[in-house]
Amino acid sequence: MSGAVSAEQSAQRGPREWALKVGPWILLFVILAVLPFQFPSFRVEQFCFWMTLAIAACGLNLLTGYNGQISVGHGALFGIGAYTTGILITEFGVPLFGATVAAAVVCFFVGILVGLPALRIKGLYLALVTLAVATLFPLLLEQFSAITGGSGGLQITSPQMYRGEMRERPIRLESPIAGLANDQWKYFLFLAITVVIFVLSRNLIKSRVGRSLVAVRDNEIAAESSGIPVSKVKILTFGLSAAIAGIGGSLFALDQGQLYPSSFTIVLSIYILVAVVVGGASSIIGPAIGAVFYGLFSDVIIQQMPDRIQPARAVILGVLLILLMLLAPGGVVGGVRSLQANFASRKGGSPGSDPDLIM
Amino acid sequence: MRDFLQILLVGIGDGAVYAMLGLGLVVIYRSTGLLNFAQGEMAMFSTFIVWTMWSLGLPMWLAILGGMAGGFCVGALVHQVAVRPVGDPHEKPLAVVIVTIGLFLGLNGAAQLIWGTLDRSMPPLFGRGQVTVFGVAVAWQKIGAVIALGVMVLLFYLLFQHTKLGLAMRAVASNSESASLVGIPVPRLLMLGWGLAAAVGTVAGVFIAPNLGLGTNLMQLTLIFGFAAITLGGFDSLVGAVVGGFVVGALSSVMPRYITIFEKMPLAPAFILILAVLLFRPEGLFGKKQVSRV
Repeated sequence: MSGAVSAEQSAQRGPREWALKVGPWILLFVILAVLPFQFPSFRVEQFCFWMTLAIAACGLNLLTGYNGQISVGHGALFGIGAYTTGILITEFGVPLFGATVAAAVVCFFVGILVGLPALRIKGLYLALVTLAVATLFPLLLEQFSAITGGSGGLQITSPQMYRGEMRERPIRLESPIAGLANDQWKYFLFLAITVVIFVLSRNLIKSRVGRSLVAVRDNEIAAESSGIPVSKVKILTFGLSAAIAGIGGSLFALDQGQLYPSSFTIVLSIYILVAVVVGGASSIIGPAIGAVFYGLFSDVIIQQMPDRIQPARAVILGVLLILLMLLAPGGVVGGVRSLQANFASRKGGSPGSDPDLIM
Repeated sequence: MRDFLQILLVGIGDGAVYAMLGLGLVVIYRSTGLLNFAQGEMAMFSTFIVWTMWSLGLPMWLAILGGMAGGFCVGALVHQVAVRPVGDPHEKPLAVVIVTIGLFLGLNGAAQLIWGTLDRSMPPLFGRGQVTVFGVAVAWQKIGAVIALGVMVLLFYLLFQHTKLGLAMRAVASNSESASLVGIPVPRLLMLGWGLAAAVGTVAGVFIAPNLGLGTNLMQLTLIFGFAAITLGGFDSLVGAVVGGFVVGALSSVMPRYITIFEKMPLAPAFILILAVLLFRPEGLFGKKQVSRV
């Protein structure tokens, strides 16, 4: 069922169907808009982190979910985005969001470089190479400590007016609006960027380019013989995916103000991948859901448990991942879709959702 | 020159450990076609079992046997509960990668829960002494690692080439469908393969732990070296794992010494090796070339 047909159908079904389709989105946006006013500042800060994770997961999803190339190394690309941002601001005085754009560009090219082997390497082997990248990255940061600060960390500073003179001061995202606290301002800024990235990704996937991504994933030979430039598609997807992950990393840098190699270990790469599969690979909204699930899990639920069993968090996460792959490999979105399909076929109606329908 | 030899020998000693880890990876790859990202954590877990038995007062060799048995059970269990139900790794690579990552997280967390986050110290199996050969000092521990590797390779050779069980395992690796048709209990043999791989990993862990300190991230770097070893040797070749292990060990010991850019990251040569081999000779030195019919 292609997007065009379903749009036509929903138009024919009248306003009630339309409300059912648009209603949840309106509700979602209302909730998102109210959130920062309902929660204390530290929670809002956590939401900001979840959003950076969601952006990186969105990038990984284009690559892994839609294009079928597995990367266990997106934490490294996230880190490159973060460090590019930090170094550009601190050393070269680039304006904050100018550095974000630059980070995206840098990550695009790094992604193309990492993606080059993907032309010959597939599946598990590509996962192996990207795993090695992820393991290597924190060591690289230590090796080039002259510019990255090594394990001592990188403090992101910019020249600011302070007591009447220009000084190097830690960067801050200050709210220009009187009614908004700094963290709330940051929240809305990040939310806007996140929404734009998700909407652009959705449009990309619904376009001709997006269909060629999926075609390459499903059958490379068939795609090639119907005129899709497979190599170009794979390489560019890698670049684009890396650029998006880099934007996530860049926002992370702006959010934190200081960067340490220990934040960008293999564990981060794993979490980004977890966000993708928990939400549901190859659905646009999936990675966002996955990031929220992960955030709720690690920042809210686990924090309620006594200190002694904190390491249980990894055990629970591991067991959940395995169960998820066994019971609902499509993640949350996949599970909901198959429930819908089940329900629809029991009612005797048309099958509700197509596995490749884009949410 | 003496300096070079010294570093080379250290590297070869490390290489023996990478080769042991590689053997486990190859056994699993051959039987299930899967790159096991949790192999290192399985080894770490069973090394902790060895440590526990040793610190309870058992002699070291008995503790190691106990750890191997424990590792075998963990490996077999993991295969039955988590790996087999997911399905074919080449049809659903993402699901399989995620499952091994889940195992990675689960085993790591479980080890932290049981043994805490502090590093434990474990004595070197062959003591701290060293011998001097041609003016170069070599630690007994490194020589011991090479010998242990030799014994393991011999045992694997005997198992695969001279026993009915080994023949059955080879049959499963080469074509599991036909093997199952002639009455070989395929799932049970796969389980056995996973158990063996984990048991071999135990020995690797026992040799590494005295150097690095026994902590829950004992194997995370070592695993990449192990992967580099089997990538070079060929994913399905036991001989390849051994040769690859030695080459990787030597490279990652020698190169950081002479090339300053690798100084703090002996992992970098291993990474470059993985990349180069996969790009230019994906079947490795000894592996079977993969041919797919279009």
